[in-house]
Amino acid sequence: MKKLNLFFAVVLLAGIISSCKKEYVYEVKDVKVTQPGGAKDNVKTTTEFISIVYSDLFNNNIPTDTLLYVQQSYDAFGDKKLIEDRIVRHFLNSPAVQIPADATMRANIPLFVDETIQKFFNRKPDAFENYFISDIISNSTNITPMMVYYACMTSNEYRYY
Amino acid sequence: MRRRDFIKKAGLATAGAFTVPYILPSGRLFAASGIRKVNHVVFCMFAGGVRNMESVDKGLGNIMPHMLLGSESVPLDIAAAIAGSPLPNLNLGYNLQSKGTLFKDFRYKKGPTGHFNGHTTAITGAYTTADLNIKDHPHTPTIFELYRKHNSPAQTARKCWWVSNTLGPYPALNFSSYGGYGAQYGANFIAPTYMFSNQGYNSIGTLKTFTSAEEAAVNNMRTFMNHNFNKSFVDGDAGITNTELDAAELQTWIDGMFSQYQGGAFNDPWGAGAAMNNDMRNIFFAEKIIDQFTPELLVVNMQDVDVAHFNFTDYAVNLHKADFAVAHLWNKIQSTPGMMDDTVMIIAPEHGRNTTGNSNIDQNGRAALDHTAPFDENFSGDQMAREIFCQVLGPATVVNQGIEIVAPVGQSIGESIDISSAIANLLGFENQIPSDILMDFNNTGIQQAFL
Repeated sequence: MKKLNLFFAVVLLAGIISSCKKEYVYEVKDVKVTQPGGAKDNVKTTTEFISIVYSDLFNNNIPTDTLLYVQQSYDAFGDKKLIEDRIVRHFLNSPAVQIPADATMRANIPLFVDETIQKFFNRKPDAFENYFISDIISNSTNITPMMVYYACMTSNEYRYY
Repeated sequence: MRRRDFIKKAGLATAGAFTVPYILPSGRLFAASGIRKVNHVVFCMFAGGVRNMESVDKGLGNIMPHMLLGSESVPLDIAAAIAGSPLPNLNLGYNLQSKGTLFKDFRYKKGPTGHFNGHTTAITGAYTTADLNIKDHPHTPTIFELYRKHNSPAQTARKCWWVSNTLGPYPALNFSSYGGYGAQYGANFIAPTYMFSNQGYNSIGTLKTFTSAEEAAVNNMRTFMNHNFNKSFVDGDAGITNTELDAAELQTWIDGMFSQYQGGAFNDPWGAGAAMNNDMRNIFFAEKIIDQFTPELLVVNMQDVDVAHFNFTDYAVNLHKADFAVAHLWNKIQSTPGMMDDTVMIIAPEHGRNTTGNSNIDQNGRAALDHTAPFDENFSGDQMAREIFCQVLGPATVVNQGIEIVAPVGQSIGESIDISSAIANLLGFENQIPSDILMDFNNTGIQQAFL
């Protein structure tokens, strides 16, 4: 009987102690942290890559013979990053390339960054991305829209979808 | 000497012994783990399917006068075809056969007698006994990966090249899918006749240039973007990846090549006029790679003789041109500082051709030839498509000079898979390769070429 009383006393004490514990509620909404573009798992095929580079820069579909010849050059060298850099810079060198003017970019830099990331990465930039790239552009008058385009098109994310 | 001073000085001496490099007479900083016989190997695949009958056995007379000794007369129709596509005089002053060893009974012993199978076997040192998926990399390590992984000191891909005359499945031969090897040890691959062409120039020839300050700003933005993204486009999907320094040199070299192309320097570089075929062009570009990179391991192929499927006379003419191209390449090696007298060149077809012709009869009434020896090595029928030759050229201190190796009738000495073992042995890294990957050089037939 004594043992039973002792047991009830311990249980009662534990209940009192636990009920005294204060629970804090911060009332902050849970946020799931993800990397920008984190859902992209697939590497673009060579054909997709070349076609998308072309259409992103010329706002047109790539002609079949152009695609064939660029593809052959792509296949003809083993270091694909090196050859992709050449493909992008070759297209950028064309007078027909469609890139916003410097004045347009500088009239509203955050908007330009927003639209550029959307165009190349098919998503909105997060706040920090927009701040970081906008900051680089606004801190140097030497940064051109073409340079921002070039950086995007030779980044890892551009190779994925 | 006080104990503390002694320990200090002994420690410094020991550290010095480890850190001060020893420059070898060859110019290498550290001794390789094995003993090198030469510092450069060039493997020229005399490919496209070549019968011994028309090459080393001289069934049409000697139509390969640079590689083979002898002046056996050539049938009039073939001689006329060769004369119709004249080549300049190389004025070598010697015959290649006198500069090395000729195996007249080499064999491509196993696997389908297809061009890609033959190339894969020669580059991996392993037979492919089943049909290959032509989109796949080889399943066993290539000689390029073995070299870059096991050679000491390790070299970048700048020193290791695979120069192919065509595209199709051949770009995949610069590295394998074998565990522990792969793209990080692959060779620089190039198909130069596609790259340095009108189409190539119009696709990647004229580049937007940026100042170094602009490049730095672009790099800054790109690095930020790459840090923000959780995946990299690197080895494997991205082929091989050169170091930043090597990539910059490669870009400059490619720019220079396009500039020469535009300037007309590649129009008739050997003075051969209309006789310059794709094989000769491929060898010409391999020589450009030699000029710029003095590779330690260079594999280059030719395949124009495969016209034999349709026209026997053209096959003979292209054999004659391939002989010229090989001699031109050897001459280039022997006039390149750093490679001269320090290079072994191995020349071999990937497979042969059938004994009997197909139904295509050419202008001289000669039947064209396929290459269809059955997979079964014990098959007792037409196995001529497995019969090939191999020529090994090199310094007299390394390669037996002026030797012709002939096997007893019905037998062979040396086979396709020997070549990779020989390359590993010559460059001194054979002992570092796991024994299940490559045949022991001591068990090969090709070792008879070496002192």
